[in-house]
Amino acid sequence: MTAVQPTALMSGRYQRAFTLAVIFLVVSWHLAGAGGQLLHNRADYSSFAFQGAMWLVMALAIAAGSVLALRGTPSWRSAWTVAVITLAASTAAAAASPANDMLAVNWAWGTAGWTGLLVLLRRRFGELACFLAAEAAATLSVQLWDGLHRTDLAGFLAVLAWSTGAQVAVAAGVRALDVAADQAAAAARSEHAARERAATAEIIQAAREARWLALQESAAPLVAELAAGTADPGDLQVRIRCAVQAARLRRLLAEGDEVPGSLVHELHASADVAERRGVAVEIETAGPLPQVPRLARRVITDAAIAILTDARSQARITLAAVAAGIAVSFVADTGAGVQLPAAAEGVTIQHQQDDGMFWAEARWNSR
Amino acid sequence: MEQQVTVVIIEDHPVVTEGVTSWIRSDPGQRVRLVETARDLTGLHSARQPSADVIILDLELGGELVTTQIPELVGAGYRVVAFSGHSDPAIVIATLDNGAHAYVSKEEGRDHLVEAVLAAAADRPYVTRSQARAMLADQEPTRPLLSQQEQQALLLWFQGMSKASVGRRMSISENTVRQYISRARAKYAATGRTAASKDALLARAIEDGVLKPGEIVQYKSFASGGAD
Repeated sequence: MTAVQPTALMSGRYQRAFTLAVIFLVVSWHLAGAGGQLLHNRADYSSFAFQGAMWLVMALAIAAGSVLALRGTPSWRSAWTVAVITLAASTAAAAASPANDMLAVNWAWGTAGWTGLLVLLRRRFGELACFLAAEAAATLSVQLWDGLHRTDLAGFLAVLAWSTGAQVAVAAGVRALDVAADQAAAAARSEHAARERAATAEIIQAAREARWLALQESAAPLVAELAAGTADPGDLQVRIRCAVQAARLRRLLAEGDEVPGSLVHELHASADVAERRGVAVEIETAGPLPQVPRLARRVITDAAIAILTDARSQARITLAAVAAGIAVSFVADTGAGVQLPAAAEGVTIQHQQDDGMFWAEARWNSR
Repeated sequence: MEQQVTVVIIEDHPVVTEGVTSWIRSDPGQRVRLVETARDLTGLHSARQPSADVIILDLELGGELVTTQIPELVGAGYRVVAFSGHSDPAIVIATLDNGAHAYVSKEEGRDHLVEAVLAAAADRPYVTRSQARAMLADQEPTRPLLSQQEQQALLLWFQGMSKASVGRRMSISENTVRQYISRARAKYAATGRTAASKDALLARAIEDGVLKPGEIVQYKSFASGGAD
């Protein structure tokens, strides 16, 4: 999820920039191009007020279209509402222009085309083509109504080629840029994934180093003593120290695998050494267990190692969900010599010795 | 001389049937008598009279779970003790809900199966550690409301303590520990679908003083009041 978000964001950012460029183009055209033409030819219109009103209607349509385009791809209904309003306004403006000079004084055709482009830009290309064709047909109809001359037709074709050609070119350009932005985003995505893999590898490496350092402190001196002959493998205490270090080593290895149910996994690893000694260890869980933080897990597995190292033939470990935490218990046939870790990291430990059976419970409370 | 409890073993693995038979034979008091073994339930369905007091039922026969057939067996007058390798709490709870008296996992068989059969024949609750586990893990909204003491006794029993040790831990007598655990089990008999075996278990619990009639009424009104 985190790998996808930045790139989706990035592709979206490019598309927004293209949309803003189109909005700038449309607004500039309406203010400078259409507005300038309207003011310049104001004396030629039968009603300048009506032309001005149509200009304002189209300005509002542009504002609405800009908001729609900035919110993403407009819906069919909203896109075509804006498109039809500008088409109607443009046709009305053309129809109200002087018949013999319509094309020369018509300011609205260009604006209508650009506004349609703005709202239909990211919808199917066919929709934009339909709109531009409808607009050309509407202008041609007004000309036919006015009585078409050959020169008028030539002018119509010239404006059509210039205006519609430019609009189609811009639409095609933006589409090409959208595709390029998607490709850039995909490239960034794979780069991001590669960076994440590298970061994960670094974390794993750091964890390995930490484990190695922990072993240096506890296991290395024991190995050195054995090698130097100062520790006697025949001595029960030395054998217990070896078993504890072996179990810790296994737990350290298990700590690296961040699997769901880490505590159960680490307890299994801690039990492994006792099982090799022939102690039957059963591990059972009851209820949905909460995630326990690593340092608290360490206190619990330390208790497990202490008890399992001392168990003679059998041990039972249970994990049960209790209010606001977890109760991990150990029952084993062991004597009173178990050295349990002190309470820490939100873990409290209780124990009870009954004849040959030892019971201990480590409770971690999330609060 | 007390009468022997008669039992039928329904189990599709002959090795397991052999094992169960040997546990029954090695009971010092010879309190249970095996009258029949079968690999499926067809023979029992055709019989008009229950051929034994208790059925030891493997929950999986020929690769299929038979928990849903328990109500029919209970209706025919048998008490059912489920004996299964399936320790999934949901299956255990469904087994009890369908009217089985007790649930014994295959690992617990040697220590608990004969005792569970005897308890079932007397309509008394018998709670194995795996059954305690399922009751502790039960997340169903319809589960009975257990008191703190009952929960603590169930938890310590599940953890592996002897009932005497549980008593010492909770500063109560071993007998009171049994009472708490039995009461928790009896509360389960008062929930879910109705079954003759569950009614018998409840009636016996009231007779033995494990549960007061008022406690069931109180519980039922809680249940009908909706989730709260």
